[in-house]
Amino acid sequence: MSPYTKYSEQELVSLLLKQDNQAFSYLYDHYSPALFGIINQIVLDSETAADVLQDVFVNIWRKINSYDETKGRLFTWMLNIARNAAIDKIRSRPYRQSIKNQPLEENVNNTASRLAPQVNDIGLKKVVGKLKEEYRILIDLSYFQGFTHEEISRILDLPLGTVKTRIRSALMQLRTMIS
Amino acid sequence: MNIHEYISSGIIESYVLGLASEEERREFEEMCVSHPELAEARNSFELALEEQALKNAVPPPAGLKEKVWSAISHTTSPSKVINMETSRRSAGWGWVAAASIFLFLGAAYFAVTFYNRNKRLETSNENLVTRINQTDSLLNKITEEQKIMSDPNIMVVNMVGTQKATPGSASVYWDSTSSNVYLVVKNMPKLPSDKQYQLWALIEGKPHDLGLFDPHAEVILKMKNTQKADAFAITIENRGNTGGPNLEQLQSMGKAKL
Repeated sequence: MSPYTKYSEQELVSLLLKQDNQAFSYLYDHYSPALFGIINQIVLDSETAADVLQDVFVNIWRKINSYDETKGRLFTWMLNIARNAAIDKIRSRPYRQSIKNQPLEENVNNTASRLAPQVNDIGLKKVVGKLKEEYRILIDLSYFQGFTHEEISRILDLPLGTVKTRIRSALMQLRTMIS
Repeated sequence: MNIHEYISSGIIESYVLGLASEEERREFEEMCVSHPELAEARNSFELALEEQALKNAVPPPAGLKEKVWSAISHTTSPSKVINMETSRRSAGWGWVAAASIFLFLGAAYFAVTFYNRNKRLETSNENLVTRINQTDSLLNKITEEQKIMSDPNIMVVNMVGTQKATPGSASVYWDSTSSNVYLVVKNMPKLPSDKQYQLWALIEGKPHDLGLFDPHAEVILKMKNTQKADAFAITIENRGNTGGPNLEQLQSMGKAKL
């Protein structure tokens, strides 16, 4: 149980399932900054990031009954909703056009812009920044940009097996750094 | 691979961070059920991640919470998810309905357009038929006239106007063998609507009615037959006259020379 909650997670979930406004209000107050932090590491424009956060909380409210506590913590579930929404946003056509980026698939081999260090050095990304270069790139592409292992294998011209092993190793290092 | 190797393979982090494949996820979830220590390890990574995220929180813009509230108050609640699905589906049907109304209106528009066009074509077709009929009957009359004029048995009597003010002229085509009488009006002044011209045959000084006619006929007129005639005369009579000729109103005369 998180030391920051005043509700236990089970209490919170069961109240949310009953559409308890107070519980949802608490959820927002307590978790929105953490989720906004993650979204900001993926969507670099903070106005767009705020739109994503709004969608994320609407989705949390709507989909709370699809949360399965046997599969993980509530925060993990929300974090994945936030990450997926943020990645969907950066892959959406209007967003790509707005940042004058080229279509991802057509440009999958042009990695220069993608691998350049991101200015946004906060949170998990800051930790990732401390990883050695070949790990940092892999985490950036997979976690923050949402590429599949197959796509990364093509982008970096590495065998798929190598990509998988290195990502696992990178994640293990990441874990020791944040724990 | 034993469970400890599995725990330290990076699968936990991969799973929690949403980087595991579908197959890896299924396997991991099954393993968690059968190996509580795996679920425990997962939970501790999740907590570390949550703590890390809370430490690196970024306050969202003020007013966003109100936007979220207003968005969810419009949509609704977890327990009404099924309703939402159906309402979304009905929104889909709404589109179908809208599309079908649109199609219907489109079809109706074309139906009206084609109906009108068809109507116009019918009208113009009728007009053409009428004109063809008129032309045909005119052609028949002209052909008939031509035949009469070129018939060697026919005698032509030119009627000369008797009134200086209104010099009427016409020609009588008389076939003395068949008794047919035709009249070709050349120049007869128009009459008031209650008056008509009448052609007479003068036989031994007595007038015999050969028929009333209107002067506007542009082609040959078939009049009543007569076997004899010394002369022909045209008078102006009351429309539909059945009596004798009003000789004061004698307009034209011509002698038939046999």
